[in-house]
Amino acid sequence: MEAKTKNFNTAAAEALNDPNIQANLHGLYQGFHHARVDAAAATPGWEEMREKAREIKAHTIDNLDHYLEMASAEVTRAGGSVYFANTAEDASRYVVDLARSKGVEIAIKGKSMLSEEMGLNDRLAENGIEPVETDLGEYIIQLAGETPYHIIAPAIHKTRDEVAELFEEKLDAPRYHEIEDMAGEARRQLRQKFIDADMGITGVNFLVAETGTIVLVTNEGNGRMCTSMPRTHVAIMGMEKVIPSMDDLGIFLRLLIRSATGQRLSSYVTTVTGPRRHDDEDGPDELHLVVVDNGRSRLLADPELRESLNCLRCGACLNACPVYRKVGGHAYGWVYPGPIGAVISPMLTNLGDAKDLPHASSLCGACREVCPVKINIPRMLLYLRKELAQGETYPESRRASLVDRLLMKGWRLSIANPIMLRLANKAAALAQWPLARRRRLTWLPGPLGGWTRYRNLPAIASRPFSKRWRKMR
Amino acid sequence: MTGNQAEFLSNLRRTLGRPHDAPPLAISDATALGRDAGEVARRAESIRGRAQEDADALADELETAAALAGWKVARVASTQDAAGYIADLVRELEALSVVRSAQAVVERLDLEGVLSGAGVQVNAMAVREGSDESSADEQRSAMRQHAIDADLGITGVDYAIAETGTCVLLPRKGISRLVSLLPPVHVAIVERGQVLPGLDEFFALRRAHSLGGDLGSYMTLITGPSRSADIEYTIVTGVHGPGEVHMLLLG
Repeated sequence: MEAKTKNFNTAAAEALNDPNIQANLHGLYQGFHHARVDAAAATPGWEEMREKAREIKAHTIDNLDHYLEMASAEVTRAGGSVYFANTAEDASRYVVDLARSKGVEIAIKGKSMLSEEMGLNDRLAENGIEPVETDLGEYIIQLAGETPYHIIAPAIHKTRDEVAELFEEKLDAPRYHEIEDMAGEARRQLRQKFIDADMGITGVNFLVAETGTIVLVTNEGNGRMCTSMPRTHVAIMGMEKVIPSMDDLGIFLRLLIRSATGQRLSSYVTTVTGPRRHDDEDGPDELHLVVVDNGRSRLLADPELRESLNCLRCGACLNACPVYRKVGGHAYGWVYPGPIGAVISPMLTNLGDAKDLPHASSLCGACREVCPVKINIPRMLLYLRKELAQGETYPESRRASLVDRLLMKGWRLSIANPIMLRLANKAAALAQWPLARRRRLTWLPGPLGGWTRYRNLPAIASRPFSKRWRKMR
Repeated sequence: MTGNQAEFLSNLRRTLGRPHDAPPLAISDATALGRDAGEVARRAESIRGRAQEDADALADELETAAALAGWKVARVASTQDAAGYIADLVRELEALSVVRSAQAVVERLDLEGVLSGAGVQVNAMAVREGSDESSADEQRSAMRQHAIDADLGITGVDYAIAETGTCVLLPRKGISRLVSLLPPVHVAIVERGQVLPGLDEFFALRRAHSLGGDLGSYMTLITGPSRSADIEYTIVTGVHGPGEVHMLLLG
């Protein structure tokens, strides 16, 4: 998928001015966020589970080579095939070639953010294969030609009227008013696709290394359809999704699902260990697992960012984030929005182009507080800001303007030395004189204008605090 | 192993800072992977024991959690009562076609006998014993069509989980993936002693099975009806899977 991370400011402003989007984002908070809070409170040992899950993920990621090797051997032993792809293009090519070799006309798809990264639907369509998204939210997004707005609720920005209009236009459906009728229409439309499809493509929530078992978490049943109806099942997976043992699943399922929707368990949890066995009554004849890097190595290589690979993609940090809840998912300009997206989207695309993303945070820490595996997102956002300013690890991504750099250099010089500080204060107090109104700076000229565009700066006091303090004592 | 795996993993090793001869994996205490087979087997034994000893209390817990998850839960004293419940449901739904698993508990209901009088077609979703390959294929496509057309699907369960209100099905010979998926209404029959306390016990048991070598190809945990909240965060049921699910607690 093409990254539009450069447009953060304009896209954010559009969302802020759209009352429908603001209402839906508020609903998301009322719904998902509060459901998560209640579910966590009702789960005994929640905090211990978070800590344990964090340890397991950190251990697995630190030994990713071992665990992927183990998982691959087990998937193969169960009768599946494994393909390792370095890039999104490579992964798409494998899936497209496989589909073409089998004469696939329709591929039904479960929700997968990795598929969005790969732009897999476009690749399939270019090759004459009809990709059909079957998650209700993804189906809506596909009909609208848009990208997902939220990791677990892709169409949450659309009102029911907009969906009804879309169904009328694209499906020739009557103008519905009830959400149930819209879901019914989607069920009927997709039912035939499930029956006709020759290939099912799903994501992977977890891959159990010890047994080579793919775990899928869904609510609608489309994941079960994609893994039961077609002759071929293709599972695509970011390489970080592996966990060691089936015995660890209880913790991870609780944390993921309760953080995502607040349910004790999603309607369906499906596990796939190889294709159908000879005696099975049904199921696909072939299983292909595609393990994809696509930039994740960069996160793995950087000790400051490796922790981001622990992410379970529950979306809780989006719902908790005061910035996401205002600017919405599209502002971030790539597959992963919100706080975790502000860390991984720049690193999986181009950090320099995505310079606004690490700044799209008040550093309030709500994301870290809700994260089921305790990822320290604010720390990583600060690190990326530092990189954008100084470019120590990623010099090609340094984006601080000359003015900012000079300002910060001046600040550093003056704060380090009492005499310099006094002089700088004096100079600034004099320079601000024509601009200060009631001890506030409401406008600064030229490249400094950004500092006062959305807020007033307090003016520099005529007598510094150190002097006043001496007197007050 | 595929041709590109070695290169991919060797890149990973370089990224992780151990390019040559990776040291053997030192398993962290945090993951259950390090538990030895004997411990896993002993734990499984004690879990199975508890499911029998505490069967009544666990059934009560399951009943509460399942109702919360959206199951319509009913207690039935005998297989006759279960069959009666299903016959009533068939009338209420005006169902014409029923598919069922070939699990022992479902066989005991004698649905064909109970429902045939009402003109309802009942199809068992299992390839007949001793069928040759081509006949099996034919039966499978007929079964698939039956499941697509059915108004009601009836299965037993392999386990139930009290913590979450969940039924677990392990599809295999005699147990199709489709009976609990394609019809708009699903009835699951839970037998006494099948209820486990929580997810941890369930997965510990499954791990023991995997070490014993018989994990099977597939597993579905079902917790209430198919649902979606994708439009305006409003919950609707029956999106692709069954919108109405019944849990019969037997005995």
